[in-house]
Amino acid sequence: MTPPFLARAIVAAAAPPLDYESVAGDLEEEYAGRVESAGRAHADRWYWSQALRSVPALLAYTRVRPSLVLDALTAALVVVLLVAMLFVAEFMCNALFSVYPHASGARSWPFFVAGWADAAFFGALLTVIVRSRGLRLTVIASLALVAAIAVPIFLGYSSPLSAGTWLLLLGAVPAMSAGTALVQVLRRR
Amino acid sequence: MRDIRRYERALDSPYDILYYADNMAKGEYLGEFEHVVLLTLLRLGDGTHGALIRMEIESVTSRSPAIGAVHATLARLERKGLITSWIGEPTKERGGKAKRHFKVEAAGVDALKQSRATLERLHAGLSFQKRLA
Repeated sequence: MTPPFLARAIVAAAAPPLDYESVAGDLEEEYAGRVESAGRAHADRWYWSQALRSVPALLAYTRVRPSLVLDALTAALVVVLLVAMLFVAEFMCNALFSVYPHASGARSWPFFVAGWADAAFFGALLTVIVRSRGLRLTVIASLALVAAIAVPIFLGYSSPLSAGTWLLLLGAVPAMSAGTALVQVLRRR
Repeated sequence: MRDIRRYERALDSPYDILYYADNMAKGEYLGEFEHVVLLTLLRLGDGTHGALIRMEIESVTSRSPAIGAVHATLARLERKGLITSWIGEPTKERGGKAKRHFKVEAAGVDALKQSRATLERLHAGLSFQKRLA
């Protein structure tokens, strides 16, 4: 008897890599007991509730020991990957402009698909390279990217973005997270 | 008197967060849930794991904490040096996943004693009956 697939995937995506086995194992152990004592439907509801309520706490901590050198190296790698992600997005947008020169409004969807696919790919790449940090690092990295672009605009040092570009930028946070989540779930199948 | 009022006003400002960060982040105090988790770990004994800790908290306090919150708190207590943990063998009933076992260290027991003594000093001489009246 296994818990619901999607709820298990949520735990697999959010749990810190060094603590995944103990968190998921604890949930499965208690789930098995609840299936026996209260039935499958009750146990499924309980597992869903635990999985969803655990996400914020699972993203809030890490079991990686603090190390100035490792943290600095990770931060440098994140910056390199984010810059590479922006370059690739720029390249893809230029290529799409030659195919859809007058795209606007709803017809500009290929630009969003390409931009978010790029973000998802780099989110996955970050998790493949830095195996010990998981979704927490990707969320922090994507929020740092949004802040690095948004703060100069709000302070007046940079020109404002169009609504579409804001959507593309803010969408990078869930897109990068989805890339990381997919890698984590596949790794822990 | 004016100085005291100025300090009181200052402590009510949004910059309080800096004051609290400076005074609370040194691991000297136990948070409420840290206290609950540490006491539960002590009740269950050395070598216990997250699922048992979560169930014991639920049966004693009637709160149903998320397993993620329990593990996040255990990781924080370990970072403070109050508990230690080790990975055990994978078992079948856990889908082949290993357990993380926990043990309270002497510093953890000291922190609980200190916390209890502080609360007892604060409770001394208080009459809840009078406050309710």
